[in-house]
Amino acid sequence: MTDAEFVRAYEVAGADFTNAGRASTGIKETLKHMGLPSALIRRVAIAAYEAEMNTVMYARRGTMTLHVTPAEVVIDVRDEGPGIPDIAQAMQEGYSTATPEMREMGFGAGMGLPNIRRNTDEFAITSEVNRGTSLVMTVRVS
Amino acid sequence: MSGAGDAGVQARAEAGAAVTMTLADVRAAVNGVALWCPDDSPSVTGVVAADLMSDVLVDARPGHVLVTGLVNVQVIRTAAIADLAAVVFARGKTVPADVVDLAQQMKVPVFASHESLFEAAGRLYALFGTRPVDAGPGRRA
Repeated sequence: MTDAEFVRAYEVAGADFTNAGRASTGIKETLKHMGLPSALIRRVAIAAYEAEMNTVMYARRGTMTLHVTPAEVVIDVRDEGPGIPDIAQAMQEGYSTATPEMREMGFGAGMGLPNIRRNTDEFAITSEVNRGTSLVMTVRVS
Repeated sequence: MSGAGDAGVQARAEAGAAVTMTLADVRAAVNGVALWCPDDSPSVTGVVAADLMSDVLVDARPGHVLVTGLVNVQVIRTAAIADLAAVVFARGKTVPADVVDLAQQMKVPVFASHESLFEAAGRLYALFGTRPVDAGPGRRA
């Protein structure tokens, strides 16, 4: 990270479906104001939104921290929640443990983590059962 | 399948003009009512029809119109995140005021149609279906 790094943190409340997506919308607006290319912003926004919805659906709370440098946009997501016992299984398209309430909101198709990987240049996920899950999502600017 | 929008598009096609679909064409094709749409002249690049927003986030391209039977605020947030041109709520479902308010706040044009999702998607396919489609990265890329 360089001196030019911009950092902003966004809090996400678990089970708050009414406000789900506000953090990602804020991230998108911030990147727009910075004048980054729209295609890059869209990739970051989709990855952020998928991660935010996972936090809302499964965790008690979480924090999304946006880091922007001239070279890359990084979003660090840390949640407090049940964690993911088998990450390889969770990364498979179509695998989901969503509840009926989550599906009524239009989510829980088992596409979230694979879609994050699709929209990012680097994607790291670590998880500890009964503690929480951390994602680091990177989209390169150049 | 012969709304005013179809006739307008047909006339432009016969005149030899490059046909660019607009929100006005979409609204006419689905017999839609504008719930919030300050300007129906923006162009539309294609259509995605789905009730699962997870699928929309994978399949939609910028400038697409989303046709859906799901009615809640997450539809609007999904459309804004994915740079969609508009949302058509099908099946004649009641669209709550908080959904329309959020659409206005997030500048996502929204229409309501009494057509079924199948019928609305079919009419839009008639407008867009024969044109080359940018499939994007897609789920099997």
